[in-house]
Amino acid sequence: MRGRWIALAAWLAPLLLFAVVPVVALLGRGVGAATGGLGTVLAAESGALVNTLGISLGATAWALFLGAPLAFLLFRTDLPFRGAFTVLFTLPSAIPAFIWGMGWLSLASPRAGYLNRMLGADVFNLYGAAGIAFVEGLSGLPLVLLAGAAALRRVDPALEEAARVCGASPLRALLSTTVPLVLPALLSGAVMVFLMAASSFGVPYLLGVSASPPTRVLTTRIYELVLLGSEEGLPRASVLASFLLLLTPLALGLTWVLGRSGRVRLSAGKGVSSRVLALGAWRPWSLLAVSGVGGVLVVLPLAAILLTSLQRSFGAALTWDTLTLSHWSGVLWDSRTLRATGRSVLLAGGAGLLVVALGLAGALLRRAFRRGGAGVEAMAVWPFAAPGTVLALALLVAFSRDWRLVVLDRVAFVLALAHTPWLLLVGYVGKYLALGERNSSEALAQVDPSLAEAARVGGAGPVRAFVDATLPLLRPALTVAFVLAFLACATEITLSVLLVPAGSEVLGTLLFELQSYADPAAAAVLACAFVALVVAGQAVLAWARRRVPEVR
Amino acid sequence: MAAIVLEGLVKAYGGTPVVRGLSLQVGQGELVSLLGPSGCGKTTTLRMLAGLEHPDAGIIRLGEEVVAGPGVRVPPEKRGLGMVFQSYAIWPHRSVEANVAYPLVLRKVPRHEVASRVREALRWVRLDAFAARMPHELSGGQLQRVALARALVADPRVLLLDEPLSNLDAALREELRAEIAALRARLGTTLVFVTHDQGEALALSDRIAVMNRGVIEQVDTPERLYREPATPFVAGFVGGANVLRGEARAGTFYCAGTDTAFELPMEAKGGPGTLVVRPEDLELGDTGTPLVLSARLFLGHAAEYRFPVGDAFLRVIGPALEGVRAGQTLRVRVRKATVFNAGA
Repeated sequence: MRGRWIALAAWLAPLLLFAVVPVVALLGRGVGAATGGLGTVLAAESGALVNTLGISLGATAWALFLGAPLAFLLFRTDLPFRGAFTVLFTLPSAIPAFIWGMGWLSLASPRAGYLNRMLGADVFNLYGAAGIAFVEGLSGLPLVLLAGAAALRRVDPALEEAARVCGASPLRALLSTTVPLVLPALLSGAVMVFLMAASSFGVPYLLGVSASPPTRVLTTRIYELVLLGSEEGLPRASVLASFLLLLTPLALGLTWVLGRSGRVRLSAGKGVSSRVLALGAWRPWSLLAVSGVGGVLVVLPLAAILLTSLQRSFGAALTWDTLTLSHWSGVLWDSRTLRATGRSVLLAGGAGLLVVALGLAGALLRRAFRRGGAGVEAMAVWPFAAPGTVLALALLVAFSRDWRLVVLDRVAFVLALAHTPWLLLVGYVGKYLALGERNSSEALAQVDPSLAEAARVGGAGPVRAFVDATLPLLRPALTVAFVLAFLACATEITLSVLLVPAGSEVLGTLLFELQSYADPAAAAVLACAFVALVVAGQAVLAWARRRVPEVR
Repeated sequence: MAAIVLEGLVKAYGGTPVVRGLSLQVGQGELVSLLGPSGCGKTTTLRMLAGLEHPDAGIIRLGEEVVAGPGVRVPPEKRGLGMVFQSYAIWPHRSVEANVAYPLVLRKVPRHEVASRVREALRWVRLDAFAARMPHELSGGQLQRVALARALVADPRVLLLDEPLSNLDAALREELRAEIAALRARLGTTLVFVTHDQGEALALSDRIAVMNRGVIEQVDTPERLYREPATPFVAGFVGGANVLRGEARAGTFYCAGTDTAFELPMEAKGGPGTLVVRPEDLELGDTGTPLVLSARLFLGHAAEYRFPVGDAFLRVIGPALEGVRAGQTLRVRVRKATVFNAGA
């Protein structure tokens, strides 16, 4: 089978060129720069290092503290409105963290924040390390929650019942059987929160850089060093990026270990029908607590953004006559916004199509190379886990000059990506390829291979059989992958801020600029539009997921 | 002229041999079953015949044409076959009609002819009223009949059936088995049928190829296979016979590893060998070998008695005796048996 090797080479070539080689080159650069004096770099940047670790640990602890009890309440008990709460508590990761940062900033910035004004004093100050960790932990909450839900669904309720029969009280049975079995999954979710917090850029920039004194983390330092220029800034940025990049395999290794220890054997025979734990007298209190937490942590910041977008100016008195729609019309019909929207839609649409096509190809290759398939998947998935700042910096450094490929001394290809939106497209596709590969792979595993074989025996060639028998069944999953990739790219901020060329803004950079340098009210309008886009996208996803056909 | 010739087929998956030198001829219009336990290579053989797998060595001929062999690899779509899969493989996004029409559309049959041929194929399997339905509205037996219609609609030179009945419940299985037999009588298509159910194979086949560990142990008509099994495996798998190892000496068979011995009703060559005796060819009575009964299973028309012999059980089927309990010692006499010599 020579064909599959050619296909693999054709698939790998762009991945190597646009992702692996730039990142390896960046690592090499970082190591090279570090040998020239790691001590001085570390001494100069120790603040950023310590801040990154401290903030990430804080965010992780906060997400775990909230997520563990919520996971039990939502997925194990007879709490009312569990479904609605589940949707509510998964919103934090669907909406970009930067927007949550904006929401909390309008609530709790010193002096002007709504909460501070209502309480009449500077009770809250969101700026600084604690504020960053607070917002990051919240936006990582769904990672813990969903990991816990998946594990809870796998644990056989009979284990708990056995403990009850042996004489344990309901709480005791829960603590001695289910909790130890679910804990590894919760912890591996927490590790993902750590990784997310360490590689996040928008929130530390918003709440750290303009704080006084400024709180710097690795990602914002890298950004500042890149802006500083090539001579001194880039080598140092490479060192920091290498350090940040090393966190990824460490964290992934840790989740793998946790996943192994948490592997729970499915019970045989009767299906695991998760029996819910009756809360009894605690039911109304639990409902009150969960809706309070959801209201304060999820609804309130979004409401604050909406309010900010409607106020004549941020900090004005809160009365009905200060409300205005002028920001909305001013921002939404501004030619700058329209151009950025057009560019974002084109880029996100193009990236979505490429993600789906390359992801599907990756999934097919993975199946064709049975045993080597894991390698194909790893190639497609690793950029998703790598910090966006690092990917962006790697692309920036690798393609700062044009590449010339000369074939047979005659034909020359010039790859001039620097300062073009194409580099952003490359970054988006690389970062979100995992969405295409994972979704296609999972859908492909559901499709019985005999469906395509039946078409072959019926007289169809391999391509025709794939198009007629397999592809129609993959369509819902591919739609899901496209919408996910589109949403992620359209609301992306980290890569965009670093890679977007001067003069051609996208939505993410526009939001970033408006919030950081211009007008919180205008930024709030755009943030509301983002939230609306995400909600609409989630509705499409829910519809597409329901259309997955039943394959017998 | 043979419709199918398989010569010395070999197939291994990553070092594990699955089919090891298999040869078989199937005549025009004949129904041949590949029968064997799971993992014996029967499905792999069928998939090589369909072109879904390529043999590591050996030749496959369909009629005059070599479709697989050294340097030849005709893809499945060029072999002109019909196939029914164990999992039905009905495309869930197409209606029953569109499923059945697919092979005709690929063969560029004119549209009005497609419609009439699809209708006819659906009538063969008594599904003409279901043409517009979608697969998820059909039951398992109906889906399997759609698969049958789809496999037959383009008039294939050979119809391949891969355990087509094993996903159905007992009553439906009977019904579809009769339907396949009737269709075959009407259409005269050459059929290769893979199954692990010897009842199915015995009822349907002109000839049965019994497979074990990648080779064919015996190819014969159902009657001869049942009456004159060529190997102890065939006897055990097809007839459900007791297979005991040991040694024959002077008209008596001594079971290995125990002190149990059976008097043989016929002449047998001396030396180590295997005693093959059907449960219904054993008799409980006043004479014969004394054995301790371990279980009595009432079957309705008869009863099955089990006696531990060494590490196996000896099964006896006979009239249901009253007052017989486990633990009791009964005498077992061999009425008819075969001894296979170890060397042969």
